Amino acid sequence: MSRNYKKLAALMLCSGLVLSACGGGNSNTNSQAQSAKSGTTAEAENVKAKITWLNLLHTASPPTDKVLSKIEEATHAEIEFSWVPDASKEERINTSLASGSLSDIVTLTILDNSSVRNALKAGMFWEVSPYLDEFPNLAAISQDTRNSASIEGKLYGVPFQKAKARNGVIIRKDWLDKLGMAVPKTTAELLEIAKAFTEKDPDSNGKKDTTGFMDRSDLVYGAFKTLGSYFGTPNVWAVDDAGIMTPEFETESYIQTMDYMRASFEGGYINQDFAVTAKNDQQQNFAQGKAGIYVGALFDSKNLLNMSKGIQDNMELVMVNDITSTGNEADRAIWAGTNGIGGLLSFPKSEVKDEKELKRILKFVNDIMNDDVYALMTYGIQDVHYTVDADMAVTIKDTDLWQQEVQPFSSSRPKEVGYKIHDADPLKVEAEKLIEENANYAVLNPAYSLESETNTTQGSELQKIVTDATYKYILGKIDLAGYKSEIEKWEKSGGSMIISEYEAAYKAINP
Amino acid sequence: MKAPPVRIKRTAHSLLSLKRHKLLYLMILPGFLYFIIFKYLPMGGLIIAFQDYQPYLGITGSPWVGFKHFIRLFTEPTFLMLLRNTLILFALNIVIFFPLPIILALMLNEVRHKMFKSAIQTIIYIPHFLSWVIIVSISYVFMNVDGGVLNEIIAALGGHKISFLTSPEWLRTVYIGQIIWKELGWSTIIYLAAITVVDTQLYEAAEMDGAGRLRKTWHVTLPAIRPVIITLLILKIGHTLDLGFEHMYLLINSLNREVGEIFDTYIYTAGLKNGQLSFSTTVGLFKGVVGLVLVVLANKLAKKVGEDGVY
Repeated sequence: MSRNYKKLAALMLCSGLVLSACGGGNSNTNSQAQSAKSGTTAEAENVKAKITWLNLLHTASPPTDKVLSKIEEATHAEIEFSWVPDASKEERINTSLASGSLSDIVTLTILDNSSVRNALKAGMFWEVSPYLDEFPNLAAISQDTRNSASIEGKLYGVPFQKAKARNGVIIRKDWLDKLGMAVPKTTAELLEIAKAFTEKDPDSNGKKDTTGFMDRSDLVYGAFKTLGSYFGTPNVWAVDDAGIMTPEFETESYIQTMDYMRASFEGGYINQDFAVTAKNDQQQNFAQGKAGIYVGALFDSKNLLNMSKGIQDNMELVMVNDITSTGNEADRAIWAGTNGIGGLLSFPKSEVKDEKELKRILKFVNDIMNDDVYALMTYGIQDVHYTVDADMAVTIKDTDLWQQEVQPFSSSRPKEVGYKIHDADPLKVEAEKLIEENANYAVLNPAYSLESETNTTQGSELQKIVTDATYKYILGKIDLAGYKSEIEKWEKSGGSMIISEYEAAYKAINP
Repeated sequence: MKAPPVRIKRTAHSLLSLKRHKLLYLMILPGFLYFIIFKYLPMGGLIIAFQDYQPYLGITGSPWVGFKHFIRLFTEPTFLMLLRNTLILFALNIVIFFPLPIILALMLNEVRHKMFKSAIQTIIYIPHFLSWVIIVSISYVFMNVDGGVLNEIIAALGGHKISFLTSPEWLRTVYIGQIIWKELGWSTIIYLAAITVVDTQLYEAAEMDGAGRLRKTWHVTLPAIRPVIITLLILKIGHTLDLGFEHMYLLINSLNREVGEIFDTYIYTAGLKNGQLSFSTTVGLFKGVVGLVLVVLANKLAKKVGEDGVY
């Protein structure tokens, strides 16, 4: 017994050592690729490359190897992921940058983060613009997109091409019908609906246990910013013809939006704890029939409906993307996430040693934008995860399986628009259509590609002042004077510097 | 050959004693190495508090900026807020939490029923093994306004629902309450251990003199564990500005930040999230220096009143 125990201990110790030796070792990137002769693209194609990828995970657990092996087959590569949970991306990416423990491909989505920006500007990553046109899918990236994704005129990676503006309002259609109300066109009508959903017992259970809005603790991806667009709030910054910059929170429409949220809060038309509600709880609560209005990404509608199966089986959803505060079609507006750039796939020089390696990896990025790999990363393996009809309309066979094995890949697709294959689900189709429509009304952030030293070093600290003040105003803890004095605090602590630096940067580009 | 009893001298550096107590010195080697490798060597990194550190330039290549980050830290309006919040929470921790495990340990010591005692001990140890994430989540389920159990009870009794999680005035209560719930049982262990080594003859003598239970606790048990209490108190004072990051980070939101933001959470957001490595190192260094000064002072004070102190 004791002898066996010793053996086992020895074995475990050894295997631990071996494992750590593997883990700690440097990936011998493209060792085979290096043995290939010259660096032309055509020859690189025949080499099976070993590629490491520091990537973001938006789901609870990483994908299994089932789909991955198919992707590897299609791209003729061996991929090794290091997954970083999206919730902790800032610190993980920053510590990776600081310690130099990077991969061949690094997914960077937080381009406004100071250390990421500094790393890019310092030339830690390859400048890829000279190489893009050698690869068909990368060559197709528009000049516009390349410009918006550039920092000081240089493109340090392949930009993620995402839909410009994905947000809108999702409402319980069955509740509207029950109360005999129409789909809203204006913010005032939306508030009426929220009120009715709270007070008129839309689920007919005789209890006052529903609210209108179900929101989460996020002023950007939650309800606030989207509602702000409907009131005409600029996207982070506004610039006038004279080149004067105004931050969104100093505009009248921002205050109107706060008043609107405040009215919902005071009337009880929104979940009273929205300031501390997590996204997952928000969606669960909605699926459980606790509320009837969800303001967020339009394609969440399908998830919400899936989650409600077996709990709220009569749930029907309607999506709205044309709400305004005035009722004029001309006033339609919706903020564009990050000007349609979802971030960069960047290639650190410390890992990707020379042009030849870089080209092989660009080839890989190019390949995952092909139709077949896009289908793998979006829907999974045909007849395992989905079936497809003659119109290229896809039906997912088993949502749970899809969520485990395929969904984790979906946030890594360098391009999410313009493919033939599509979801047969009517909600998904509708969401896609509305998101496409949104692009025509997208409001961009004019300061997105401008540089401000103060914003880079203290921007997020200062933003906290504004965020906190906004919440306090909405919850009725401070009045307008109190809010304004907080904004003054922002200006004094460095905000006015940010404004003048952005104005100078803007003038330099638009004299 | 029997080794003579080891006498701890202030400076036992003579080769002779090294030779004589080879094995004893060998035994402290792992601990010694641990401190050298994990505590002393990383201190070299504090240099970046005086630089504008850029990771890819390295310590050698980053520009020197002198006291720039220190000036920023002490002139930022947040500094006073951080100091105030940290000190208040620390004071609550000392005044409210610190005595509780001592009292509980004394009470447990009076329990004569073996089974009952160990059952109680096991039960109160359990929360220590739960992570803060779990504890804060449990609290959330209990305390939120939309259907939290606690608020449902308050409402059922005809009271007004209280937004425990979003009001600055409740944050400290919740914070200390959670610490008590999690760590109270676990903190009694060291005191219980100290109590077990009290000479039973002392109790017998006290009984002869007609002391009751309370008297015995007061005159025998407490003085016996006083050195342990003092030592733990001094060590705790060293962590004045060091309340721990995770717990508060989970509790903080936009509405209670003004009382909740402490140095630890600030270092995390300013440093790791925004990548200002130099600035957050500055904050960390300041914290460390304050902790060191306080430990030395507390130790001196302990010696003054005739206790042993930590060193």
